[in-house]
Amino acid sequence: MSSINNITKVLTLVLAIFGLNFCYASQSRAEAEAEWQRALDAYTNKEYQAAVEALEHIVELDESTADVYYNLGNAYYKLGQQGDGAAFASGEIGRAILNYRRALRLDPSMEDASYNLDLAIDHTNDVEPLPQGVVASMWSATSGVMSSNGWAICSVVFFVLTLALALVYMLSNRIALRKVAFFVAIATFVVSLFSTIFALSQRAIYEDSDEAVVICNTTTSVHASPDATSKVIRQPSSGVSVRILRSFGDWSEIEFADGEKGWITNNDIERV
Amino acid sequence: MNRVRHLLLVLVMLLSSWTSWAQVTFRADAPLLVSMDERVRVEFTVNKEPDGDNTFQAPTFEGFNILAGPSVATGMEVQWINGHQTSSYSRTYTFILKPQSAGKHKIGAASIVVGGKKYTTKPLPIEVIDESAGAQQRPSITPNTQPATAKPEAKKQEKQRDKSITSDDIFIVLNTSKREVYKGEALTATLMLYTRVGYPDVRGFDLPLFNDFWTQELPTQNQRSRAEYNGRVYDIYRLAEYIVAPQRTGELTITPAELNVVIQVVTQNEDPNASFFHAGPQVSLVNRKLRSAPVSIKVREFPEGAPSSFNGAVGKFTMSSKAPEATMSANSSNEITVTISGSGNLKFITAPKLKLPESFELYDTKVVDNIRTSAQGASGSITYSYPFVARAAGEYRLEPLVFSYFDLDAKEYKTLSTEPFTVTVSNDGSVAASSTKAQRNYSDYGGHMKQLDRDIRFIHTDVLATRASSLFIFSPLYWLLIVLSITIFIVVYVLMRKRILENRNIVARRMRQADKIAVQRLRMAERSMKEGNRHAFYEEMLRAMWGYISDKFNIPVSNLTKETIREELYRRGVTAADAEQFCEIISRSDEAQYAPSTESDMGEVYGDAVAVISKIESIVKR
Repeated sequence: MSSINNITKVLTLVLAIFGLNFCYASQSRAEAEAEWQRALDAYTNKEYQAAVEALEHIVELDESTADVYYNLGNAYYKLGQQGDGAAFASGEIGRAILNYRRALRLDPSMEDASYNLDLAIDHTNDVEPLPQGVVASMWSATSGVMSSNGWAICSVVFFVLTLALALVYMLSNRIALRKVAFFVAIATFVVSLFSTIFALSQRAIYEDSDEAVVICNTTTSVHASPDATSKVIRQPSSGVSVRILRSFGDWSEIEFADGEKGWITNNDIERV
Repeated sequence: MNRVRHLLLVLVMLLSSWTSWAQVTFRADAPLLVSMDERVRVEFTVNKEPDGDNTFQAPTFEGFNILAGPSVATGMEVQWINGHQTSSYSRTYTFILKPQSAGKHKIGAASIVVGGKKYTTKPLPIEVIDESAGAQQRPSITPNTQPATAKPEAKKQEKQRDKSITSDDIFIVLNTSKREVYKGEALTATLMLYTRVGYPDVRGFDLPLFNDFWTQELPTQNQRSRAEYNGRVYDIYRLAEYIVAPQRTGELTITPAELNVVIQVVTQNEDPNASFFHAGPQVSLVNRKLRSAPVSIKVREFPEGAPSSFNGAVGKFTMSSKAPEATMSANSSNEITVTISGSGNLKFITAPKLKLPESFELYDTKVVDNIRTSAQGASGSITYSYPFVARAAGEYRLEPLVFSYFDLDAKEYKTLSTEPFTVTVSNDGSVAASSTKAQRNYSDYGGHMKQLDRDIRFIHTDVLATRASSLFIFSPLYWLLIVLSITIFIVVYVLMRKRILENRNIVARRMRQADKIAVQRLRMAERSMKEGNRHAFYEEMLRAMWGYISDKFNIPVSNLTKETIREELYRRGVTAADAEQFCEIISRSDEAQYAPSTESDMGEVYGDAVAVISKIESIVKR
């Protein structure tokens, strides 16, 4: 009875919040809302295993948002931390890193997720990334300020601004105002153009990330070729981030942050 | 001389009798455990000369046959040590007995009269064991045969000799007080030699190895006792005694001890061919390697639920503490003292952790221990002193020290805790003037907040947002907004087209026609000049000059000054001289407008103005 009550409560809440959108709110949406509340309660009561289960269920329902992944990362982190005092269970740390990266993929501007990700990475044997060039690091830093949607809204707003300023330029007969409008219009047009490009690059990451995280119990082997008998070139622990270059049967060629490449079985990695 | 010797003798006699007056003891000595075929030697000893041998009354030896005795022996010993004389006297009556039957027998009390007083011994209970009865059931253990190097005949003899000593006759045993203990719990291990052939000559000794044990050897006297083992009577010697405490859980095995001994064996030569000289008992030496059986100890893990302050202490402890001085001034030192006493693995306990506020500096903990080790384990006390220095004034509550141990009797964890301490630190007023580096470092550091620890940030608790089905960029809505804004733009453009065009035309025309307007105005000026209207001429001239610049450069007249004109002209590439001339004409016209002047002046001004404007026109147009 109380669960039905809860569901109706959640439904009215959804109705109140989304108003017209209500007609699109499906059964899975209501279920996800209930699971979300369950996960928040479980996490607050330090029942991290229950929180993990509830959040994973939301992901299964395909209702996951950046916040869901962020909370899931936290739950895994706490679960790993609970394991044994200072030592972390590496399997859980790997899952925590994977979920923080997923949260950042959906919302690159989530500052809490990048902070927690840095803490989690300290517990893995991840390699030092290659230093990026000034332009590349500026590019990724700037495009990471907002998500794809943020940049897209930015691009529309600045486009409208450009048109408005063009009208001001054309309609005004005051020379100073015309001058100001002209130059600002050019600037807003450039901003709009770059916002569009950033929005597109963020969309590329959002839709098909080539990033992956090594997920295993403790450590796994990276081979020189897609063959279990070939030489083992590295033994990354769970949670090490890699880039997938290509796949071949059950194997994927991966590249570490320091540029080293190797082959790993698909079972041991999970796409972000 | 003779007298002196006599006196001395009397003195000695007196002294000796005086010492023996001290106490008279009369005691009986006999092994309390004997086998059936053993001869039992019973001795009654008195330490003072009795009134006569006939006053000695032997007891009844029930269950024994008297083989010999009583034989009387007297011993006397006088010792001078540092001028101090001691003497001892003993008179012993010895009986040799042979048990008649197995069982518990009692040798009754003997009595003797010393100095007219009758002394009696305590009765001796003697247990007699029939070994042959047990021996038949017991399978005889064949001893290790030695490598056959000797001749056949000698070998036979050797074998016979060896056979006379079986591994039942002499062996070593490692006894432990417990077989199942907790990690850190102490137990005693005793290495004992069981022998029926007398105390052997020990040639080599490999001590037992207590791997994964903390071990301490206890001092042992090589004391002898008798005991029955497997129905036979043995002499037992304690070879070594240890206190050991396992340091690891699981099944731990103590590596056996090994003893190389040489045993004297007396054999009767049974060889009928033996020569006369070889007849009779023969003494031969037999080498034996004795090895104790391996002992395994089961070490149990502590039960679940150990408190966080538990560090492996096992036993029974109490804790007392000495609180620090309640008031102290900043930068002075203070001390907390904690004493843990009791019995258990005291040597392995670690100092309880002291947590101090941030502005306190804790120095190395001093440890003083007073631990005694006996067969019952280690006991005593350990005192920990925690010296510290407080750097900042204030009232502080120090967290209590907590010590946990596993109580072996109650089989549970017990936690001891001190009282929480309070310390009031007063400002010593010298922090600013303090010159030591540490103090300056501290005051530097005190200004900032210290990052104590880091952990992940808390989860997001907002309402679950709806998942965006697709991204906004290049979505229908995106294109709609773009197209809408362009449409609005176009509509506005179309509606305002006229004004826009006008705006654009006014500007362009003005610019194009600037010179024409100027020419028109100059013509009007020329007409005024011909009419001789000075005032109108200069007015028209100024209007032409100002208006030209205004239209040409699209600057309202109100915004123009001579300075801006000069700047504007210079910017458009007009030479400084021409710009100067242009301004000069304006100044001249301003002055001449109300001042009396000649007609020729007017013509000059007019000519200059036309020349300058055409010059500017040619430069700017390019």
